[in-house]
Amino acid sequence: MTQIPLLNNVKLYLDDKPSVYGLRQKAKQALEKTNYPTLKTEAWKYTNIKAILSGNFKINTQEHQCSCNCNCHHHDNSSQIDISFCNGKLHIEEYNLPKGLSITPLPEILYEGEYKQYIFNSFNLEEHPFAALNGVYLEQGVCIHAEKATKISQPIYIKYKQSNCSGNQINIHNLIILEKGAQLEIVELFNSENENKYLTNIVNEVYLKPDSQLHHYKKQTESTNSYHIALNSVRVQNHASYKQYYLANGAKICRQETNIQLEQTRAKAEIYSAYTAKKGCLNDITSNISHLQPETYSNQYAKAVLESDSSAVFQGKIHIAPLAVKTEGHQLHKALYLNDNAELNCKPELEIFADDVKCSHGASCGEIDKEQLFYLTSRGISKTEAIKTLTQAHLNEIIALIPNKEIQQELSL
Amino acid sequence: MTTPLLEIKNLYAKVADKEIIKNLSLTINSGEVHAIMGPNGAGKSSLSYVLSGKEGYNVTSGSVKFKGQDLLSMSTEERARNGLFLSMQYPTEIPGVVVSNFLKQSLNSILKYRGEKELDTIAFMKHLKQEAAQLNISPEMLKRFVNVGFSGGEKKRFETLQMALLKPDFCILDEIDSGLDIDALKTVSDGVNSLRTKENAFLVITHYQRLLDHIEPDIVHIFADGHIIKSGNKNLATELEQSGYTDFLKEE
Repeated sequence: MTQIPLLNNVKLYLDDKPSVYGLRQKAKQALEKTNYPTLKTEAWKYTNIKAILSGNFKINTQEHQCSCNCNCHHHDNSSQIDISFCNGKLHIEEYNLPKGLSITPLPEILYEGEYKQYIFNSFNLEEHPFAALNGVYLEQGVCIHAEKATKISQPIYIKYKQSNCSGNQINIHNLIILEKGAQLEIVELFNSENENKYLTNIVNEVYLKPDSQLHHYKKQTESTNSYHIALNSVRVQNHASYKQYYLANGAKICRQETNIQLEQTRAKAEIYSAYTAKKGCLNDITSNISHLQPETYSNQYAKAVLESDSSAVFQGKIHIAPLAVKTEGHQLHKALYLNDNAELNCKPELEIFADDVKCSHGASCGEIDKEQLFYLTSRGISKTEAIKTLTQAHLNEIIALIPNKEIQQELSL
Repeated sequence: MTTPLLEIKNLYAKVADKEIIKNLSLTINSGEVHAIMGPNGAGKSSLSYVLSGKEGYNVTSGSVKFKGQDLLSMSTEERARNGLFLSMQYPTEIPGVVVSNFLKQSLNSILKYRGEKELDTIAFMKHLKQEAAQLNISPEMLKRFVNVGFSGGEKKRFETLQMALLKPDFCILDEIDSGLDIDALKTVSDGVNSLRTKENAFLVITHYQRLLDHIEPDIVHIFADGHIIKSGNKNLATELEQSGYTDFLKEE
């Protein structure tokens, strides 16, 4: 049998517990069966992952928990709740949490938790090889759970700080469960303290029960030598709403995939993305939204900036099942080229099996507007600064949509 | 003899392959207000773009000296930093760029170039609000995107606000009266007049004599076919208004 890249033979916490080991084996078998995608795989045809597979990234087995002396667990700021991962290891700490909210390290869930049933329950392992890889090393992560009708005003920050992880692969698996009528804001921040080469591979499984509401923010500014693969897999029930705000300009290859199943009537999802493909980097946004029931709604709006020698990929699939009448699905992508030497691949896929639906998709691309550039330089602003300002302005339209002003400030690229 | 503020000598310029400025000479000294009047398509706006260094407007021969320096070798931003300002006929909308941020970036770029201390946000905002109030510009407008959704009057008041902040030595006002009602014309003209000093100068481009009742020129030039065909005092504008461009040009 051929050797599957990135699989290391390591012993993980709770491997001796058959049910946990079973989950990991299930993921491993899926990966062994499908192996990694190639450019012939439709969902990956524009994103070449050869460099990731040949990177020989190892699992860091030294500690199950972060034991560093950094200050990341220090939070005097009571207006937010902080969860920290340092080089992929969770800081275990006492959280002083509002009533109805719980944050549990993943191993506790794995050991015996009522939420264990949610693991691998929002996606098919065989369709997501990197999520399967993540599953093989199921250990790091948290389960965030909001009880029925819990409305939390403080945002929950999950901070992923990569400082000392050269050559490693970091697999983190989070569960986010909102019971009926609950409301939460979760902010994920990914950053590197140096220019290390490593792989971040993260999976968030999100379950939104009827009438619940999640605002999910993410900012990824990792090292441009690193690789970042992420899957947000979301199931949305009756009249619940999922809103994602995504900002990214980091990593050599970044793939953000969002899978959403609008599985009950009037479920709603919105994804707003602003991303920059830096020089020599590839930035990929892929979404897959399934409208399974009537009167469901989705909207995606993405804006990209492409620097020289960069590529950006936007793949948006909207699937409307035969039952899903009176459904709306929209998708729009606008790109700004800073240089001729950049590549953009935009692929909308609309699969509509129902009548009486409203769907739209659109894509545009252009260069910096010469009149705007003249206006700014004629006011004494240097050409370089003016281009920076106009680039920022292009992305600002997305950032301006962020309803929470403090988070808006935090997420500005 | 003092150096003229602006000295244009035998200037020729092209856009694409079309010659738009043909053998233009013009000298403007500090403290003067010059008006340029002329029919549509005479090249008046082109002149303002040539002077401010817009891409695509190429000088083929002649020279322009600004405060004794070669203006034509400077980039657009260097011209602005050295004190040249163009109030545009159609100010560009820039979605995503907030007015106050833009003005701060602009002013600080110029202060930095001159080796002066840049303003921090608090000091800048205080200064900005004072200047804005003079021109009936509401604090709300300062939070909007540059020129986006501005009425004709708001656009021109905003151009005037920039002049007030940047304090240029030489301002080209390209049809600052277009799109203005009588009240707005008065506000903008009062704004411009309050900026006039012995040290600076203005070049007022317009179709109509009416503007020159508000901003009184020292010299009026008639501009046609890429150059000045006649210069005179402000009575020339009145004369022109009565006869119209066609008759006037025929007589000439």
